[in-house]
Amino acid sequence: MMQGVASSDEMIDRSGRIRTPWVPVLEAFRSIGHEEMGRRAAALNKQVRLAAPYGVVAQHRYDPLPAPLTATEFALLEAGIKQRAGVLNSLLEDLYGRQSVLQNGLIPPIEVFKSRHFVRSLCTGTPLATPRLSLYAADIIRGIDGRFQIVRDHTGIIPSFGHALTLRRVASGTVPELFRAGGLRSLRPAREMLVDHLQRDSQGGMVAILSASAGSPAQSLDMMDDALLARALGVLLIEPGDLATRGGALHVKTLSGLLHVATLIRGLSGIELDPLEQGGRPGAGIPGAFGAIRAGVLNMLNAPGSSLAEVPEIAAYVPQLFETFCGAAPLLPAAKGNILTSASKAPFVDSSGLLSTPLMFRLYGWHDGTGWQVLPGGLAFGLNEAGTPTNMKDIWVLDADEPHYYSGVSHSEPQARVPFLPAAHLPSRMADNLFWLGRSVERLEAAARLLMLALPRLEAGTSLPRDAAERSLITRCLAKAQLLPDDLASGNISGRLLRQSLARRKPMAALLREVTRLVNAASERLSPTMLATVQLALDQATTALVPDEEQALPTILGFAATFAGIAAENMSRDGGWLFLEMGRRLERAEAFAESLSILLDAPPERLEPGLALGIELADSVLSYDLRHAGILAPGPVLAMILADSGNPRSLGFQCSALRWSLDRLGADDDAESARLLHTEATKLASGIADLSAPLGAIAARLRLLSDRVQRRFFTLLPEAHQLEDEEEVMAGTS
Amino acid sequence: MIYRLHHATIYEYAEPVLLGTHFMHLVPRTRPGQTIRESVLDVSPTPDNRRNEVDHFGNFTTTVSLTNPHKQFTVALSATIDVAQPAPPAPASTPGFEQIAAASINRADIAEYTLPSALAAPNIELAAYAKTSFPAGEPILSGLLNLNQRVFNDMTYKPGVTNTATTASHALKNRVGVCQDYAHLMIAALRAVGLPARYVSGYLRTSPPAGQVKRRGADQSHAWVSAWIGDYAGWVDFDPTNNLLVSDEHVTLAWGRDFQDVSPLRGIILGGGRHTLRVNVDLDPVLT
Repeated sequence: MMQGVASSDEMIDRSGRIRTPWVPVLEAFRSIGHEEMGRRAAALNKQVRLAAPYGVVAQHRYDPLPAPLTATEFALLEAGIKQRAGVLNSLLEDLYGRQSVLQNGLIPPIEVFKSRHFVRSLCTGTPLATPRLSLYAADIIRGIDGRFQIVRDHTGIIPSFGHALTLRRVASGTVPELFRAGGLRSLRPAREMLVDHLQRDSQGGMVAILSASAGSPAQSLDMMDDALLARALGVLLIEPGDLATRGGALHVKTLSGLLHVATLIRGLSGIELDPLEQGGRPGAGIPGAFGAIRAGVLNMLNAPGSSLAEVPEIAAYVPQLFETFCGAAPLLPAAKGNILTSASKAPFVDSSGLLSTPLMFRLYGWHDGTGWQVLPGGLAFGLNEAGTPTNMKDIWVLDADEPHYYSGVSHSEPQARVPFLPAAHLPSRMADNLFWLGRSVERLEAAARLLMLALPRLEAGTSLPRDAAERSLITRCLAKAQLLPDDLASGNISGRLLRQSLARRKPMAALLREVTRLVNAASERLSPTMLATVQLALDQATTALVPDEEQALPTILGFAATFAGIAAENMSRDGGWLFLEMGRRLERAEAFAESLSILLDAPPERLEPGLALGIELADSVLSYDLRHAGILAPGPVLAMILADSGNPRSLGFQCSALRWSLDRLGADDDAESARLLHTEATKLASGIADLSAPLGAIAARLRLLSDRVQRRFFTLLPEAHQLEDEEEVMAGTS
Repeated sequence: MIYRLHHATIYEYAEPVLLGTHFMHLVPRTRPGQTIRESVLDVSPTPDNRRNEVDHFGNFTTTVSLTNPHKQFTVALSATIDVAQPAPPAPASTPGFEQIAAASINRADIAEYTLPSALAAPNIELAAYAKTSFPAGEPILSGLLNLNQRVFNDMTYKPGVTNTATTASHALKNRVGVCQDYAHLMIAALRAVGLPARYVSGYLRTSPPAGQVKRRGADQSHAWVSAWIGDYAGWVDFDPTNNLLVSDEHVTLAWGRDFQDVSPLRGIILGGGRHTLRVNVDLDPVLT
């Protein structure tokens, strides 16, 4: 299997024996078998990807086998990383402060001043509230001589940190056999220390990950990793548009108002981050961020401009700086020559078994206010022919050099202790997206339901007065629901005409696109399972719509049912779910009240066609038949579709569900409005005359309630604009 | 010469501004030959938050935020400034420009100004333009005075045809603009031959000394060029818009690589609708 490998191999030593740390790994692999291992690898990849925000493509493949390091090896690396991170931070503090390295000629000044990574706005002369380098990652190989060597530093955005904190937890579920041995150092204490440090440093302010979403003007290095990191640390994931500067500090708009953000872990480039000082569109950055950092009211990890230390032009001088900044030679030498040929190799799971691939370690460190800490783990990457990291695996740090494997103790990663994230901290943007997602799914379902009701009736109608009345009512409902263009809505239309209109205008496809967009926008609040299921059902519905909108209607109803079912089963009833629920209830109530105001717009003696359609539209035919033996009478019908609190499609049910949600969110006055609407709907059920106008009024009041909900919860930060200095010159400069 | 400086900037908005944050370079800096005796920057309405800082170039910056709705925003600077630029050495006695270019590259405090910047980046045409003033061995100050005069002669002064984003190469091509374009052109030409040059924003005295012509750019914000001529004399300023070697008619506000580093007033506002802007500048000698 691993014949003919060079001397630098992670798994096999010079005498051809399996190195001790690899023995249990290989044992597990043998016991699972390579075919099953291939399936486990696929499962692992799927599991990690499910954690990604919707629409984000994962950049790596995940390998289920770890890369184990002994305690001694890790101790070497740990010391080297602490030393290196300290030197790099000193370098950054100097470049943004006294610039002695430039004055002493240790780095040619030109190299710094010409770099776009040198952010002049952060030249303060003195240190910031937190070290400019607070998070650090190093790419390291084990060279031919067996020594670890530095390939590159990461001092700006820290890549894949979220993966490093997540991969093991997922792998312990997909390849539990690997975790039976003991002696593996847990990531949990380190992660908890990091979280504690971040929160302590924030002094009551919030900690958040600064990222971007698919639709935002900002660009994130790796949105998926940002999302994983936010989950692993139990902090908010936000984007520039969520933030506002008030009184010189940054705030995030949440359901509980503006909350002070004290610490941002930066997933975006820091080079052009502050439109106030650097110009550019306000929405693409955070106006006032630089001033807040300089004033010490915002910690940004890492500080903008910290990537200066990792760019090749500056990195080339780093080895000579150790003497100046720490008075010692580097513990980890720089890698020289072709790293592909010098890097040690390690096995990766492949379709044919194990594939020995050049390996690069990535280790992570952070400054905890007093010194550097190194994560006892990290990621190891398989390098392809171009030297690009492709496959990613977990680094295991063992407790000892001769680990006590097979101790019989089951040792899987303990359950994460993630700090509680109150619903009140839900960003307004997210609440808004969930609310509209609820509305749009309901709108899609209502449209499908109405078309399924309309098409056969418009097709098979006779010229009898009852059928004619029914067709007229349906046409009006279709027009109201904007499923028919205005020019067709005046007369009675045929099934053929409706089909032609559907084929031409494709209203269902448009509704489904809106649902897709909102699922995308809200994906970070949907659980991986829910997201996967919803995505599958969405794909099916989208595919079904391509040939023919009519044929796709059952698939679309299937999607809506899947969505509703999984939301009910998989979402906790916190802030996020409440907004999804409110959106659905408001949309259903409003659309149903509007349809009924059309269907019941007739004198009592001619109510029957409208009642029949109404009960069908409410999907309550079966219940009604069971209860009333199919005899259509206004009283029972109205009771069932307006007042019945046990019927999830009745108007009353929607109003009382709305009231419950609004109550939960503390919106007392709006909850009272919903209660009054419920009373009104119940009252209407007892009369049979003149129902149309009051139902229209209920629909109008529901629209008002929807507006109020939006104003109350989602008033997004309005878009700011740049006050052009253009005119300054036109008016003032010579 | 002692000056009294007043600079008022008044924005009037059609609709109330709900929130405004402004970043300003409006407090004059100190420099060799310039002492600030007194300087007050009044902001109205009174900001909720105000920060006075010093930027990378040593300029004073002021950041204010206003959270109460307002329809007018005023920034008024009043300052008393003592200006006395030392006379530069005799041009012929100054070092050859190549020597200055070679020395500046390794100087942590100078090197930055030899490099291209967004609005003052050299190109082949700018290099050719500069070469005429800097033949081999040309003493630095002679070359600078010659270039200053040529920019003055070659450009046509015309407000309103360029804007704050106009580049030096554009200025060379079209040969028209305002002080900012004159300055950018000269800076980029100097950088094209490896010389350090910076953009200076400031003010020019309102009425010229007795018997002199009215200067371009008086009553307004003004801009000119500062060039390094070696350790002996340091930075010397040139005003290509008026073909002047800067002595005691100019008050320096701030400097940087080009206009973008010293933009007097940037702001992000919410609301406001359309706005009008008025600027008043007075720089008068104090009679002593």
